[in-house]
Amino acid sequence: MLTYFLDFLVFVGIFAIVALSLNLEFGFAGLANFGKVAFFLIGAYTYALLSQIGIPFYLCLISGALISAIFGLLISLPALRLRADYLAIAVLAFGEILRLIFKSEKWLAGGNWGMSVSPVFPWMGSSVIYRLENIGLVGLCLFICFLVVQLLANSPYGRVMRAIREDEVAAEALGKDRAKFKAQAFMLGSAMAAVAGGLYAQYLQYVDPTMFMPMVTFTVWIMVLLGGPANNWGALLGAGLVELFDRGANIAKDYLTLPVDPSNLQYILFGVLIILVLFYRPGGLLKESQIKTKALELARYARDTDNNKRS
Amino acid sequence: MEVNWAQVLFNSVITGSIYLLGAVGVTLTYGLSNFPNFAHAEFITLGAFIGYFVAEQFGLGLPLGIVAAFLVTGAVGFLCYRSIFQPLAKRGATIIHLMVASIALGFILRHSIGAAWSWNPLYFTPTSSAFDIGPLRVTGLWLWLILTAIALSVIMHFVLVRTTIGKAIRASASNPELALASGINVDRVIWITWFVGAGLAAVAGIFRAADTQLWPLTGWDIILPIFAVVILGGIGNFYGAIAAAFIIGLAENVGVVVLIAVGLSTTYRIGIAFLILIITLIVKPQGLAMLFRRA
Repeated sequence: MLTYFLDFLVFVGIFAIVALSLNLEFGFAGLANFGKVAFFLIGAYTYALLSQIGIPFYLCLISGALISAIFGLLISLPALRLRADYLAIAVLAFGEILRLIFKSEKWLAGGNWGMSVSPVFPWMGSSVIYRLENIGLVGLCLFICFLVVQLLANSPYGRVMRAIREDEVAAEALGKDRAKFKAQAFMLGSAMAAVAGGLYAQYLQYVDPTMFMPMVTFTVWIMVLLGGPANNWGALLGAGLVELFDRGANIAKDYLTLPVDPSNLQYILFGVLIILVLFYRPGGLLKESQIKTKALELARYARDTDNNKRS
Repeated sequence: MEVNWAQVLFNSVITGSIYLLGAVGVTLTYGLSNFPNFAHAEFITLGAFIGYFVAEQFGLGLPLGIVAAFLVTGAVGFLCYRSIFQPLAKRGATIIHLMVASIALGFILRHSIGAAWSWNPLYFTPTSSAFDIGPLRVTGLWLWLILTAIALSVIMHFVLVRTTIGKAIRASASNPELALASGINVDRVIWITWFVGAGLAAVAGIFRAADTQLWPLTGWDIILPIFAVVILGGIGNFYGAIAAAFIIGLAENVGVVVLIAVGLSTTYRIGIAFLILIITLIVKPQGLAMLFRRA
């Protein structure tokens, strides 16, 4: 039971990183990344291939992030100047092609069968210790990513991103290069997803193409939409809730006898859930985080004291 | 290696015909409702399963299966738009929200199909054995497919150019407010388009499944080339879609010959459509629409 709970925490942590990266792209910059899984895959396979030739784990994670950022730039550049839907289609297609390549090239990473990956923490004979070590590592990465996105969102840079999301033309009129900002957000998001992919591969100790179905992208979208786009705490909450739902459904499978195959039912419920969220709670559970700056605080302070004087 | 180029050309026409049938619905609803419907893949799959159900499980034959699949899937497409996308758009959902909703709908449909039938591949009984015409190896199914695609193109052309509803479709696509002000019931135009688009997807699905296999990912397997057709042809442009469908069909079949020649896996044929998609986005995002201004 304890190992199961710890395993749950590792998964929440890994997917919280991916959800944060999507929150950066979609929540703050308004980019529809329908191919999140592609960058998750790049991170996982880069880790798998580099760790095989004895490169230390942090370098594997960093190179995965760099490669993923480069691919993110290359794939998004043609579509960034265009409407959101072009990017969505292009990136979705990219994810499928990438999975196809790793599926059919046997020499690269075992093709359909996948390959085993050496973990960061060698097996110490206890699954509790192994999971606790991973919680530490994933937690550290999650903390760094959260800090980066949180600081970015409140910085002048983040405010430009939100401005572009709300009104591209107005932001452009203020001299903000929207394609540049979007490309940077996309690269950073892709890099973060790749770190999560690397952590995922080393924790499970194998990679194969079936781990990177389009469903992964969709799960992350549910996390962000449910938790609340443009709110980083929302992304964490969403990751926790969706993972909890996933685990709950898995456990319920063993105890319930349903007329419908439970794995099908789970996906159907995911779909229904997202449509309900879009209908009744399009802003997610948590509201968009307000921007906190010194200037705004002073303005608020001045207004309050002004009101006090009058009353 | 000896390549039968006549056969390659003929196969291109077959591939293009399936893509055309599948793409008409996407491109017209995309142009009218302003978002790409990713659940179109599942309309294709659903149509193929309904066709299988009527033609094989009930034993009523393929023609009746096609008619039933067209009507039922068309109705499903209409209901999906009416109950999900239209209310969402009325509530002010952004294009991203509509795309996410269409993916969610796709998952619901796909796994409902998986639950109702199965995830194991099913096969249609072949209608006739293959025979040779000159250097070509053909089957009756392929000839029917090509005939259907030609008939569709001719009918759609006349509907779009000559009939009131066709003119209403074009008017609503190019300027919804003006169309509404001119007394066109834009909502009804969009409903009809969703019905016909989903119905044609069903026809594409039956031909595709009868030619290869039938499983819950039948539609998803060809959705990327179909989107490539829509983008290359220009969103909402029917004539562009015809040209694009056959261009991509040709590129894929010539590509397969090249892939075999250089010793790569033929599963990469789907990558060719992707390449065309990306090149279109870089070079000319409007696609071929420039060539077909009148449409």
